Amino acid sequence: MTFWIASSPHNHIKAATPSLMRFVIMAAIPGVFAQWYFFGWGTIVQIALAILFAVLAEITFLAIRDKNIKSQITDFSAVLTGLLIGISVPSLAPWWITAIGSIFAIGVVKQLYGGLGFNLFNPAMAAYVLLLISFPLQMTSWQPVNSLLVDDISFFNNLWLVLTGYTWEGFSVEQIRMSVDGITMATPLDTLKTDLTLGLTVNESFANPVFGEFIGLGWEWVNIGFLLGGLLLIAKKAIDWVIPASFLGSLLIFSFIAYTISPDSSASTMFHWLSGGTMLGAFFILTDPVSAATTKKGRVLYAALAALLVYLIRKFGGYPDAIAFAVLLCNMAVPLIDQYCRPRTYGHKGVN
Amino acid sequence: MKVAVQNNAKVLALFAIACTALVSVVNWLTKDTIIRQQQQQLLSTLYDVIPAERLNNDLYHDCQVIAGNDYLGGDDEQMAYIARMDNMPVAVAITSAAPDGYNGKIKLIVALNVDGSVSGVRVLKHQETPGLGDKIETRKNDWIYGFNGKTVEAENDLRWAVKKDGGMFDQFTGATITPRAVVKAVKNTALYFNKNKDSILSAQTSTCRDNND
Amino acid sequence: MTERSEYKELSWQGLWKNNPGLVQLLGLCPLLAVTTTLTNAIGLGLATLLVLVCSNATVSAIRNWVPKEVRIPIFVLIIAAFVTCVQLLMNAYTFGLYQSLGIFLPLIVTNCAIIGRAEAYASKNPVKQATFDGLMMGLGFALVLMVLGAVREILGQGTLFDGADLLLGDWASVLRIEIFSFDSKFLLAILPPGAFIAMGFLIAGKNAIDAYIAKKQPKVETDKTIERVRVNFEG
Repeated sequence: MTFWIASSPHNHIKAATPSLMRFVIMAAIPGVFAQWYFFGWGTIVQIALAILFAVLAEITFLAIRDKNIKSQITDFSAVLTGLLIGISVPSLAPWWITAIGSIFAIGVVKQLYGGLGFNLFNPAMAAYVLLLISFPLQMTSWQPVNSLLVDDISFFNNLWLVLTGYTWEGFSVEQIRMSVDGITMATPLDTLKTDLTLGLTVNESFANPVFGEFIGLGWEWVNIGFLLGGLLLIAKKAIDWVIPASFLGSLLIFSFIAYTISPDSSASTMFHWLSGGTMLGAFFILTDPVSAATTKKGRVLYAALAALLVYLIRKFGGYPDAIAFAVLLCNMAVPLIDQYCRPRTYGHKGVN
Repeated sequence: MKVAVQNNAKVLALFAIACTALVSVVNWLTKDTIIRQQQQQLLSTLYDVIPAERLNNDLYHDCQVIAGNDYLGGDDEQMAYIARMDNMPVAVAITSAAPDGYNGKIKLIVALNVDGSVSGVRVLKHQETPGLGDKIETRKNDWIYGFNGKTVEAENDLRWAVKKDGGMFDQFTGATITPRAVVKAVKNTALYFNKNKDSILSAQTSTCRDNND
Repeated sequence: MTERSEYKELSWQGLWKNNPGLVQLLGLCPLLAVTTTLTNAIGLGLATLLVLVCSNATVSAIRNWVPKEVRIPIFVLIIAAFVTCVQLLMNAYTFGLYQSLGIFLPLIVTNCAIIGRAEAYASKNPVKQATFDGLMMGLGFALVLMVLGAVREILGQGTLFDGADLLLGDWASVLRIEIFSFDSKFLLAILPPGAFIAMGFLIAGKNAIDAYIAKKQPKVETDKTIERVRVNFEG
């Protein structure tokens, strides 16, 4: 008589990778919708391009590595990586930016490290950092919010712009990015940073039209969209609630401390929560089960560290947003965090 | 035991002497060439901002030390090299700094004609973002030549700003802080020169390099 | 071992099998920091090569007179003296390159490959072999520098031999090759992370070639090879 002994982890929720990935992709829809509404068809074009190149790269590299292509491509992980890259890339960036990002994410960050489950870094964020430091000019080409544009851009024109750098009528990215008063628009985070360096206070800076009436015209709704999707993921237990809670909570604490010390040069917590990629990072990127810490205590620490880094880089760093840098740095810290937050084995005294 | 220690000490001392001797010989052999190279390097920058045909004095040795001040970007000591034609001053090249670059100080050399107009500007050292802010280098972009011939009229001269702020100088796509800092620094240097023109030009003896070579 | 086969073995070790850059991973700091252009790489490679040959020859020549207890300080003295000489010479004759190499020129002193060869080989072998070993190890290091410099310069700037006049004099500016020009340069290649990534690919490439050769060769005397424990240290 043989006993069947199940080995750990003793998982009770039997969510296989493909269905989990599909669910995460669905949950991104509210945020993507908001991004499309405010920033136009460029977002959709970029997401489609990114997914296309990510899947092609996945097939190619799996073929090179002699792996079973069909079973690995249908787990949708490459599609999710592509989706995240497409969301992060500026809507007016040229197509080759997205292509390089997707191929790097899948080829180098994922497959070279051994494929799904073995990658040390979050592929989408590593690709984003690669693009940001290599092509700073293209990576700032966010289209101003639709309502600040002179003309609306049609889907076809947007596609043409991404593929050739010009719209069908021959307008360049530069011209499109000019707002009504003829000034090239930067993102809210970027504008605030520039203004603070110039000695303006936060309130003076907020008079700029990119901020709209609330936090950052358009950006706040994109973040709220991703927040909604994220809450859905938590409700369905697809992601661990600890990570976003710890991340957003820590960001609240750090921004509150800074605000108390110097209210004129520190933006409010709401600004930090609802601008840049905060919500996308909190719910869709930091929660990546492969590159995040594994224990509960470790995850609290991991997300808090990410929040601290995001705050410090946004405030003092050379680049306006910081989610990607913070995620990569925290990914690097994961083995160490796991080492010290390892649960005690029965009969042993704590961690040696 | 004692003998061994003494022996080791002797060997070490011998090697130290031999190595020092070798280094001193090479130093003695290369000393003059190194000084000449440094002079040439500085002179080629100076001739970049003040064309060589406009002067006939020994530019390298005709210079003044200027105590650091807010016009020249902070507390660091700066230099002024005076170009003369037949003993009449034609232009002055002043080293300066832009304290508010995107990533720390930007060190500049600004040459001003005696009438106050800019003869030329070069960046000596900077740490701006590659690909965005580094267009202030002549290797990357012609932007810095835009200062040539411009004059600062007054402290509140509105034209001395980037176009985004309503001035006459281009900014770079994706980087406004760097050109803004450089424009401000050049303007301040020109203002400093206008205010202290007499004291800089009238000084007869040079106050730099009198004892190092 | 006959003398000829010993030289052959030394070349093989220095250039490929035990390459200081690719296998021993020694001197990574200058290797990654200065290889932004081919010219810089050649400059630092030649400087390191020169120091390595001189220090190996000297260490080997004095190996019988130096007491064991004080050999390390003496090796350091010798290496530091040669580095200072090279530095002064480059300052005098290749001023532009001296400036672009900056702190990494004096830092050759701390390159473990140099003191490593002095201790591991030169202090135990005759002058001729030691000098040859220094030459081969230096060449191996310089070649890795040059490959890395060339790859990064092509990717990052689309050129080769940019600034060669700094090293070789004014005539050399004709060497500059513009391979392709594009508006947006691939800045990652010139930035430090690009150096690590390119280095990783170089090492992977070497391992792939080794694996390919091993696969090609018929399986003979595989059990005869003795695993040697090699301690890698970086400085």
